[in-house]
Amino acid sequence: MNDPYKVLGVSPRASEDEVKKAYRELARKYHPDNYHNNPLADLAQEKMKEINEAYDTIQRMQSGGSSGNASYNGASGGYSGNYSGTSAQIRMAIQMGNLVQAEQMLNSMRDRNAEWHFLMGSLCYRKGWLDQARQHIQQAAAMEPNNREYQAALHQVNTGGFAYRGGQGQGGVDMCDCCTLLMCLNCCCR
Amino acid sequence: MFGYVIPIQAELKVKELEQFKGAYCGLCHSLKKNYGFLARFVLNYDFAFLAILLSQGAGEMQYCKKRCLAQPFRARRCPEGSEPFHQAAGYSLILTHWRLKDQIADGGFIKSLPARFASLLLGRAYRKAARDFIAFDSHCQTQLSKLRELEQAQSGDLDRVADTFAAILPHAAEQVTDEAERRIFEQLLYHTGRWIYLIDAYDDLEQDKQSGNYNPLAARFQLTDGKLREADKDWLETTINHSANLIASAYNLLPSGQWSGILENIIYLSFPTATKSVFEGRFQRNMGRWQRRKESTDI
Repeated sequence: MNDPYKVLGVSPRASEDEVKKAYRELARKYHPDNYHNNPLADLAQEKMKEINEAYDTIQRMQSGGSSGNASYNGASGGYSGNYSGTSAQIRMAIQMGNLVQAEQMLNSMRDRNAEWHFLMGSLCYRKGWLDQARQHIQQAAAMEPNNREYQAALHQVNTGGFAYRGGQGQGGVDMCDCCTLLMCLNCCCR
Repeated sequence: MFGYVIPIQAELKVKELEQFKGAYCGLCHSLKKNYGFLARFVLNYDFAFLAILLSQGAGEMQYCKKRCLAQPFRARRCPEGSEPFHQAAGYSLILTHWRLKDQIADGGFIKSLPARFASLLLGRAYRKAARDFIAFDSHCQTQLSKLRELEQAQSGDLDRVADTFAAILPHAAEQVTDEAERRIFEQLLYHTGRWIYLIDAYDDLEQDKQSGNYNPLAARFQLTDGKLREADKDWLETTINHSANLIASAYNLLPSGQWSGILENIIYLSFPTATKSVFEGRFQRNMGRWQRRKESTDI
């Protein structure tokens, strides 16, 4: 395993508070919510795991091995619900990055229902085709307004996503947007 | 080429500003050293960004002190001999060449005279760059010919049109051996290309309307007067900001390095600021001048 202090970017002589501060900053940076639907979500998850492990190790060392698991638990949703055969396959293909296969399957489907538009939107999003992604997801959300998954995706494309930009939230990031997004995602996870 | 990707000078530390000027000079010297004096005329900030980005993962740089005609008295420390700078120099020549060819094919004889002249002057430099980067040369040609086809068909499929341009730069990431790092660079460069293309299309709306040229936004939003409706403007701004967010989220996954200060300035601050100033009509198109960005940030 890597040096936990190096992972958190602090000196081995850093105080508990400094370690905690560095950890929180990194956890904000790699939080799964910042990478929701992002093609690089798996890499962010790995980073999150790495800093969690580093933080736990340091805590154990500082408290003489008695500390419990205090770090953030980043269980990001993923596609785990009950979906019908083809839909599940397409979701899996998109998640694995098999975009050509997913596109072929979507094009061969006759029934252009809300789920179809949502999946097409997700596929476009994954390709970086954000204009079409937004159109499809809007369509899906309009066809099934009560679907929380579609609403969360709609929120994401309507606000233009979110990215961590340094300590003070520079670059005109609206904290309200961030909070609403977190609340929405929280609803989806229940 | 476009000159949108440039740090906000006021937010740079003094040493970062020196470092950035050094990188810009480095690209210029690299163009001259590898491709001759005339190649210097394709120097632009977007490719200085590419050189810096590729240098971030490239380890130790070779620096040297150089003077030039623009800076005859003060030698500047620049990383001209490094491979990422050679690569950015070659790529900028190749892209410029194919864009000039496009302009020549598009305009009539008289209208395309400046492009013909420039293409003639850069011919030698381009041929050498194409020999150095054979794969990028054919990739660039393919993508731009796809773009031309879509333009001729007056395509309103904004994503597809932007994709042909956006897919050009990720080619620079091909030699990155680490799989994860390559994916990060690809996303970063893809959305940088997309961001540049869309911002440029917006900036050109009125001009294209007057000259009767194809504009992807006019086709996408079915404009007749060359002006976007407020709702469409919001929609477009969101999509452009979304690309900037995907750039930043990709960048955050890269390990930090000697260029982090400049890259964070560009990625965290400059992309959103430039988007805003272009949308508010404050962005001055004044190639190669710091003043332009100073004006846009002061207000």
